[in-house]
Order: sequence, then C-alpha cells, then structure tokens
Amino acid sequence: QEVTLRLHQFLPAQANVPKNILDPWADKIEQESGGRIKIERYPAMQLGGKPPELMDQVIDGVVDIVWTLPGYTPGRFPRTEVFELPFTMNDAETTSRAYWKLAEETMMDQDFAPIKPLGLWVHGPGVIHSSQPIDELSDLNGVKLRAPTRVTNKLFSNLGATPIGLPVPAIPEALSKGVVDATVIPWEVVGALKVSELVKNHTEFPEEAIYTSTFVLAMNKEKYESLPDDLKAVIDSNSGLEFSAFAGKKMQEDDAGPRQAAIDMGNNIIELTPEQAAKWKEAAQGTIDAWIAEMDEKGLDGAGLFKRAQELTASN
Amino acid sequence: MLLNLMDRLARAMAILGGLVLTALIALTCVSVLGRGLNTLGHSAFLTSLSEAAAKALTATGVGPVSGDFELVEAGISFTIFAFLPICQLRGAHATVDVFANSFPRWLNRFLMTFWEVLLSALIILITWRLYVGMEDKMRYGETTFILQFPVWWAYGLSFAAAVIASVVAVYCAIARIAAYVTGQDLTPDAEGESIEPA
Amino acid sequence: MSLLELGYISFPLLLVLIFLRAPIGLAMMLCGLGGLYLATGTPNMFLSKLKSETYSTFSSYSLSIIPMFLLMGQFATHSGMSSSLFKAAESWLGHRKGGVAMAAVGACAGFGAICGSSLATAATMSRVALPELRRYGYSGGFSTATLAAGGTLGILIPPSVILVIYAILTEQNIAKLFLAAFIPGILAAIGYMITISLYVRRNPKAAGTREPMPYAERFRALANVWPVLLVFGLVVGGIYLGWFTPTEGAAVGAAGTGLLALGSGNLTWKMFLDSIIQTALSTGMIFFIVLGAGFYNSFLALSQVPQELSSWVVGQGFSPWVVLTLILLFYLVFGCLMDSLSMILLTIPIFFPVISVLDFGMSPEHLAIWFGILVLIVVEVGLITPPVGMNLFIINAMDRSTPMKETYKAVLWFITSDVVRVILLVLFPSITLFLLAG
Ligand code: NA
Ligand code: NA
Repeated sequence: QEVTLRLHQFLPAQANVPKNILDPWADKIEQESGGRIKIERYPAMQLGGKPPELMDQVIDGVVDIVWTLPGYTPGRFPRTEVFELPFTMNDAETTSRAYWKLAEETMMDQDFAPIKPLGLWVHGPGVIHSSQPIDELSDLNGVKLRAPTRVTNKLFSNLGATPIGLPVPAIPEALSKGVVDATVIPWEVVGALKVSELVKNHTEFPEEAIYTSTFVLAMNKEKYESLPDDLKAVIDSNSGLEFSAFAGKKMQEDDAGPRQAAIDMGNNIIELTPEQAAKWKEAAQGTIDAWIAEMDEKGLDGAGLFKRAQELTASN
Repeated sequence: MLLNLMDRLARAMAILGGLVLTALIALTCVSVLGRGLNTLGHSAFLTSLSEAAAKALTATGVGPVSGDFELVEAGISFTIFAFLPICQLRGAHATVDVFANSFPRWLNRFLMTFWEVLLSALIILITWRLYVGMEDKMRYGETTFILQFPVWWAYGLSFAAAVIASVVAVYCAIARIAAYVTGQDLTPDAEGESIEPA
Repeated sequence: MSLLELGYISFPLLLVLIFLRAPIGLAMMLCGLGGLYLATGTPNMFLSKLKSETYSTFSSYSLSIIPMFLLMGQFATHSGMSSSLFKAAESWLGHRKGGVAMAAVGACAGFGAICGSSLATAATMSRVALPELRRYGYSGGFSTATLAAGGTLGILIPPSVILVIYAILTEQNIAKLFLAAFIPGILAAIGYMITISLYVRRNPKAAGTREPMPYAERFRALANVWPVLLVFGLVVGGIYLGWFTPTEGAAVGAAGTGLLALGSGNLTWKMFLDSIIQTALSTGMIFFIVLGAGFYNSFLALSQVPQELSSWVVGQGFSPWVVLTLILLFYLVFGCLMDSLSMILLTIPIFFPVISVLDFGMSPEHLAIWFGILVLIVVEVGLITPPVGMNLFIINAMDRSTPMKETYKAVLWFITSDVVRVILLVLFPSITLFLLAG
C-alpha cells in the first residue's frame, strides 16, 4: 500500500463502536482505495497516554486518526456541548445529522480548526441506572452519582444529587461497592460494564433524553492534505454527514441488546410518563440557561447556538 | 558550597512535595469520611433508628469533598516532580551494577558521567515539553470536570517543580563532568542510602 | 529493517544499556524515544507525547497509591510496631529450637501487613530482631538470611506496591489481587518457619535456646499488636468491601499509621521529614521507571512485538505449562541481576499477552490474578538471590560482622522454600484463587 494511517482509540477492539462502526468504516476505505490505504487499528490506548490525550495526539500527528469525546477535554470544544444539554436529543441519527450540519456552519474554523473531522455523532438516549428506584426528582436527593459530562455534572448537582468524578472503567466497581449509587450512561455501554448485574433500576425518559454525549472521529489535518486527490476522495465519500448519521443510528441500535438483557434479568425499567418528565424538564431549564449565559460570556452566542441546534434537529 | 545549596534546594522541594502529599492524604480521608456520613444519613438503618438524626445529618450537607479526584491528580503530579531533584542529587535512580562492578575503574567513571549527562538532558527535555503542554492547555482553555479550574494551573505547578529539577540536573551533570576531569567528587555519595525499590 | 525487527532488537539493546549501568528508567526512555523516532522518521511523535504523557503519568489517580503506601511504610517503621510485633511473636515462639528466628519471620509477616515494601520491612525488622537473634546465640549468616527472607513478606502480604503496578499494567482489580496474595503470603511465612526448623536440626549450633515465658506475659505482648490488625483490617478489608477505592485505602492507611506513629511518640518532626525524604527517593525512582516503561511500551505496541510474539507462541502449539515454566524461570534468572519493579514493568507488557491467549482451564480474570501472584513470588525471590539481592545488601550493611558469603550460604535454604512454594502454587491454582471463589 501507499499510505498507512494509524487509528488510535480508547475502547477494546471487540466493543460495539470499534466493531460495528470504526472497523466497517476502515475496511470500506481500505477496499475502495484498492488496497492503497491501510488503516492500522490500535484499540484500548495501546499507543500510550490517557483518553483525554487522544485529541492532542491527532493534532500533533502522533497518530493519524482518533476516535474520542470532545467532552474529555472540558472547555476546549464549547460549541459541541449544545447537543449535550438536557432534553434536547430524541433520536441519535437525527441529532448526529444536526451535529454535523451545525459543525459545518459554526465549528470547522473554530472548535475543530486544528483537526479534520471525519464523523461527528451522538449516542442513544442517556439512562439513569440506580440501586434505588428513581421516579421523581426528589429521589435524586443525596444520591451519589457518576455523571458522564461537564454539563450533566452541573445538571445533577442542580437537581440535588452528589456528582462523583470517576473514569468509565471504574464504574462497575464503584457501583458494586456503593462508592456511587447511580450512573448515567446509554444502554449501549451497559453491557460491557455489566451495570444491570450491579443495579436493578433503570430510569428512561420519553421523547427527549436527559442527555447524550458527542463523539468525534478526527484526522490529522496535514496528513489528510498530504493525500493524493483520489485517496482524499475515498476518505471524503466515506465521511461527513451520512457517515455521522450512520454512526449515530448504529449506536442507538446497539442500545437494544443490553436493554433486553436487563429486562430478561427481571430488572425494573422505569419508563417515565410525559407528565412526570415535564417536571424534570422544568427543573433542567436552569442548567440550559446557565450554559447559554456561560457561552454568551465567552462571546460564543449561546442563545443563537441553542436555537440553531434545535432548528437543525427539528428539520432532520 | 554549591553542593550544600543544591542539597538544601532539593531537600526543600522534597519536603514541599511531601507536605502536599500529606495534605492530599488528609483530603482523601476527609472525603471518605464525608461520603460515609452522607451514606449513613440516607441509609435505611439510621432512618429507621431515628428519622430526626438522619435528617439532621443530611441537613448538615456532609458529603464527599467535591472534585477530590481532580485535586489528588493535580497535587500528586506536583509531588512527584518535586521529588525528582533529590532523587537525582542523591543518585537514587535504580541501576544494575552487577556487571559494572567488574568493569575497570576508568570505564565506570566514564559511564556514570555519561549517564548523568543524558539523564540531565532528559529532565530538561521533559521540563521544556511540559511547558509547551502547559501553553497548549492555556490556549485551548481546558478545564477539569467538576471544579472546572483551568488544567494549566496544575501543569504550571508541575512545571515549577520541573524547573527546579532541571536546575539540580544541570548541577549534577556539571559536577559529574568536573569530577571526571579533575577526579574530585562533588556529588553526595549514594552508597549507604537505603533506597527502596518495592 | 522492519518495524517488527526493530521491536525485537530493542529488547536486548535495552538490556545492554541497563547492564552498562544506565539508570533503568533512562534506558527504557532512550529505547522508547529512539524507537519511536526510527519508526516514524521524525522526532514529532515523541516530542508530542512528552508534552502530555509525563504529566498524565505523574498525575495518575491510580498510581498516586504508590507514594501513599510508601509513606505509610515509612510511618510504620516509626510506629514502634516492629518491636511490639517481634516481642509478641518472640514470647510465643522464642523458647523453641530456632524459635527466635521463627518469631522474626512472624513479625515480618505482621509488619508486611502494614507496609507495602520489602526493603522497608527487612530494614525495620532487622533493627529490632537482629540484636536479639545474636543475643540468643544465633549464627550471623542464619540471622541475616532469616531477616532477608522475612523481608520479602513485605511485598507478598498485602498491601504491596508490586501488585499495584501489576494491577495497573494488566487492568486487573487491585482488591482481588490483594486478597489472592493473602494465602500465598501466609504459606510463605509457614514455609520459612519450616525451613528454620530444618536448618537448626541440620546445624544445631546455629541457634541458642531460652526458657518458655509465662502465659500471662505472652498474652500481654499479644495485646500490644492490635493496632497492626486494626490498620491492616481497615485498609485491606476496606478496599475489598468497597468502603473506598484502593487509592483512598492507601490514604486511610497512611493516615492511620501516621497517627499510630505519632501516638507512640516515635514520630517527631525530624522523623516526619525523614519519612518524607525516604518516600521521595523511592517514589521518584519508581515513577521515573514507570515513565520510561510507558514510552518503551508505546514503542513496543507500535512495533506489534507483543501481538506477534503471542500469536507465534500459539501457532507453535507449545503446552501452556511449558510456556509458564519458561517465563517463571526467566524471572528467577533475571531476579539474580535486576530489581523486581523494573522487571515487572519491562516484561509484563510482553509476557502478559502471551499468557492471556493460553488455555489453563480458568477464566481470563482468574488467570490474570494467578499469573500475577506467581510473578510476584518469583520476582520477590530475586530480592534474596545472590549476587544481587537488595534485601541481602541492606541487612548485611546492618551487620558488618557477618561476611556476605555466610549470608549467601544460609539464604539458599530459604530460596529452596520459595521454589517449593512456587511449584505448589503452579500445580494447585486453587490455593491462590480460593478466597476469590466466595
Ligand atoms: Na505488604
Ligand atoms: Na537477586
């Protein structure tokens, strides 16, 4: 082959995202390039560093492609957070499309200026997994909870819970030992972390989810520019809006298995009614307002971003 | 004279690092205790025993220290960087001497000088890269998750300690070279220090 | 030269640097950085990694357990517990043939329960037990060898710094590793006591005797060691029961031991500062090696050596038991030359993938834990194997009247006991995994 690209990411090779999204994507590129591109895959941070360093690794060209979460480096990709605000995401495919479009409108020269984004997507609806049932807001009172993002940390502390900062792999142990009472993650991750064996209650929200997280598949800019035009075209035709939508859809589809497994284990799935959820939404408004104010303060037009994200989500 | 100054500098840094370590230990214990009391306040056990007591306990707002993990991470990095100068000055870095013991004396003197110089160069390289890393964090405005203090603050603390480590490293390298050339030893003898691998 | 070949030759090259007296962390760093440079053709990769990886290694929450356990060990040496432990063990065992030496081993085991390192255990217990052994007419070589071997209980009995490193490298549960180490640790202590009784039967002149103590006095001595049980129970039990994370457990242990030392009146301000300096020297050394190993291992991963090696081993169809035996022998041989921590950091990223793909008829988690305990024991034997055995050096430095040769001679008995134990643990994995079953 002519070009070898190193793809570095934090999950083991057999996890859902590498297996169902990244591998098919890489295989397709290898094939369509007629074998001229080879994508070497390094799962589980094999090439060193911790997950938050992935972004620097791709910017500096330590590796050529990374899959990571903008949220691993809070403050660095402020605009992406608009899709992580509470109760703004309903369907991962739709939101992923909106995410890519908003990025094209506002982020490529800003947040993502140092990299070449190949795919931008969100995971399926976030779910609260807890040892004690959580139906109402008041059930959160004093619950020690591991929240996944900067925004959800604020949200849950506003809602009366005690957020505890933990890395993802520490969740099972922390749950089993009561270091935390609850964690907030989508179903897709539940299987790998064996969460439904550790806690028996899962609170789901109707329509909009309480949260989602944004992902980015990014390539080193110079490396991309250095490719001959026909190879660039192979990468381009497999990246962007449609790939992002596919990845978001795929991730949400991967929610089904672990959810069914939890039901089969006799776990208690709490599906809140729209009336119950309305109270949560009302309580979460403060977090959204605070985020908008914070962005305005940074001169990023928080209100405009929020409005445009909503429009794009609705129109997809 | 200069050795004395370097030794005091390295010792002071080590002690400063140790005090930070002690503070982190205390912080972690307070956090564990707070979390324990918080759990107790919400527990069925205490509530059944005395609802008033449980309410009173939770009303105090007792809980784990917010952002304890982040504080430990920021602090421990400073501690380790602060421990480096004394390690180098007292030759505490692990080596395998079993073959070297049978080398001729001149070769050993050369090797020790050679490695000392490389080690010092590496520490300076690390310090420089840490500074560049700090600049990155500053430019990108990266913060921590929970307390949301800028990550570069933590880098900055570590960088300050790394600068001292570099100063001591330069001294060690020059002292070794001088010792190699003149045959006079200007570093403290590492023999007899009880260095504990594990 | 292909990247893979580069990976393969880097290992012997690294050993050459180390045997040329390069600081081990520096040697790994040089090979790692050099390898990354040759592999990519530019210095960008390692310059960029240096930008964030030094900080991320030094700021690691899980690695922060190490300075905490080391400080805990320093406090333990000032807590006065070493002499309480020895007095308690001696009052029960001292009148037997070889009993004072057995008491020293027992006290080492007790001390190992609050100290995560071997050398600190050996040094501290020697200070208390060496004069007593000599007073009761125990021969020099026998006394020093007993304490050198006893010192290894410091890392065998949890908490243990080596196990922490192994757990992080292989992404295993620290609490379960600590628990699994418990029975092999007790077996080690029993094995050493049997060794002592065999030794004095063979060399009757090597040990003196004394009259048994009244039971009232024995119980009084025993009552003095409760703080050790308390701290041990709190730390290891608390980590296992999930009252706190391993790092939090280390913090609680350090604070508890510090308070004990303070209460005993032995921990003055000067002693406190001295504890910090000693912790600084060990911590700095360990983290520098961990940092170097991180870079070297990134390069190894890039060169695909571990993957290729493990698929080669599988492809050859070797018996898993033969592979395991070879690996353990490798550690025994290298343990004669190198310190345990460097060996673990250097070799686990290569050996662990190989072991993981072999079928020993147990779950991956159990295999990882069992292998970890076996490796722990064989690298710990390295602390007492001549010519380079850190425990032998430290104790000999405390007893200049005993020639090194006599220590070497007597310690062979204890090494034999270690080897027997390793064989038992290899043949019967359930000894190690027994406590995990429940
Ligand atoms: Na121990
Ligand atoms: Na040895």
